[in-house]
Amino acid sequence: MKTGVCKVILCLAVLMPPAGAASAAGADNSGCITCHGNKEIIKKGGERLYVEAGKFSSTPHAMIGCTSCHDSVTAAHPTDGSRPSKARCKECHAPIQTEYAASLHGSKATCNDCHNPHEVKPAIAVSGEYLNSKCAKCHDKGKTIKSHSKWLTQADLHLESLPCISCHTGSKNYVITMSIQNKKPGDPHGDFKPAGYEDLSALRPINNDLSRLIDKNGDGFISLTELRDFNHQARSNGMRLWGMMTPQVLTHTYEINEKCWDCTFCHASGPKAMQTSYVAFPDGKGGVTRLAVEKGAILDILYGTPDFYMLGTTRSTALNIVGALIIAGGMMMPIGHGTLRFLTRKNRKEHQS
Amino acid sequence: MKHTEQIYLTPMPVRIWHWLNALGIVTLCVTALQIRFPDYVNIFGTYKAAIRLHNTAGVVVSISYALWLIYYMFVTRTLVKLYVPTLSDIKSGIFRQAFFYFFTYFLGLPNPHHSTPDCKFNPMQKAAYLMIMLVLLPLVIVSGYFLMYIAPLREVFVLIGGIKTLVSAHYLIACCFCAFLFVHIYLATLGHTPFAHFVPMWNGWEEEEVEEGVHEQAPGADKVSAHSVGHHSA
Repeated sequence: MKTGVCKVILCLAVLMPPAGAASAAGADNSGCITCHGNKEIIKKGGERLYVEAGKFSSTPHAMIGCTSCHDSVTAAHPTDGSRPSKARCKECHAPIQTEYAASLHGSKATCNDCHNPHEVKPAIAVSGEYLNSKCAKCHDKGKTIKSHSKWLTQADLHLESLPCISCHTGSKNYVITMSIQNKKPGDPHGDFKPAGYEDLSALRPINNDLSRLIDKNGDGFISLTELRDFNHQARSNGMRLWGMMTPQVLTHTYEINEKCWDCTFCHASGPKAMQTSYVAFPDGKGGVTRLAVEKGAILDILYGTPDFYMLGTTRSTALNIVGALIIAGGMMMPIGHGTLRFLTRKNRKEHQS
Repeated sequence: MKHTEQIYLTPMPVRIWHWLNALGIVTLCVTALQIRFPDYVNIFGTYKAAIRLHNTAGVVVSISYALWLIYYMFVTRTLVKLYVPTLSDIKSGIFRQAFFYFFTYFLGLPNPHHSTPDCKFNPMQKAAYLMIMLVLLPLVIVSGYFLMYIAPLREVFVLIGGIKTLVSAHYLIACCFCAFLFVHIYLATLGHTPFAHFVPMWNGWEEEEVEEGVHEQAPGADKVSAHSVGHHSA
């Protein structure tokens, strides 16, 4: 592949316009998708030939077009007897590939083991659960919880609340990303699971825009009042908001991050670190779109989401003050009574004598 | 003329429970300080150490509480008699005791309540301990256990109103215990000597100051058993 094309891809990956725009402005892949987007092709050549059109159209790869990676494909395909070539990831993503190859994980899995090039999305457009589902392809959840339990308090809770890459890469700039979870129809006593696009669409949001389930005024920003209103209704609708601490800047430096052995790395970051939060809504194409939430969503005791709490970090200032007043009230007894007791000590001596 | 009576007020199981509980509550308060404010407080080296010590102290307090409850409910069967205020306590006893603590004490008048093994606590103590031992302590223990097992108990959290509600309740009740510690220790110094109420919690025997010829029995108290009272000249 030519260097010029690579530069374009890198620029696109960085700038990353919205998915809808990507498919609109991208290359014309319709010829390929006509066959490869039809499940019938699985019968002819296996699952690897099938490309889910909806998911592919929202990827950066759709913008550069099928023939950018499969550049040997001819006009006579598939009757020309040749097998189209496939570009290697490092041809465009060389810095990432170098970074990944040097990591502990480099010899364990290839790019394709985690990233399907026909479904790949930028980090901002995937949920924490999605990220962890990739790790779970090889790392058994039960075994992972067991191994982490040796040193990590409530390992099951931590592994549900964090993408693995938060601790196992050099990723940084953590934010709280909330997502809607619900109970599946017919199972009111079951566990909460991430709500899918269809589940939320069935709630008939305004203009069929899922974000309007919370962002009632449609300004693209979730205020604390809108968040509170949603939380009030969520319980009765069998839903809740579940938060995960996700990194904004991702790296492929897979490692055992030494700093994460120390709980204070996250838990002593202070309330100021928890001011940035988002709500992620499924986009129907395997990814998510995120809406920013007004500052304080995580900390606010009345307006914030009731199901996210991080010891030491999401403490509420209002509660700190109430608690301090209670303790100060207790201290007033020895201070106030003790002072009067000291001043009236002669009275008791007189009575005793 | 005054004389003092030695009353066997606090049996050994209760004393063991009390000091175990005291150690547990103080440990919980101190570790909680680091757990809530890790960016300002580091007493136990690591955050994990503070959490593990907090959890351990919580388990110790909960076990000691269970033993206390079993002891008073099934062994001595005096839980109601000792801890539940009587109608007369509610009508007048609490006010009489409060009047003493906040007024007549300063004038040097004697405490209207005299402890006996069957009526150890004054009406204010009864009301306070009833609230603490049968309401606040069970609540803080249950909420603490919930917070130790968040993932498996998540469904319960939903019923309660979310993890934040539970954490807030746990924290505010814990603050009440912290406040109680100050009041409790201070009030314990209000005996006829500053350590008069501390001694029975150590060796079981309380020294009661009684006017010659007068042996006040607290209202509602049963007759003090002969073997539990000794006499000394003042």
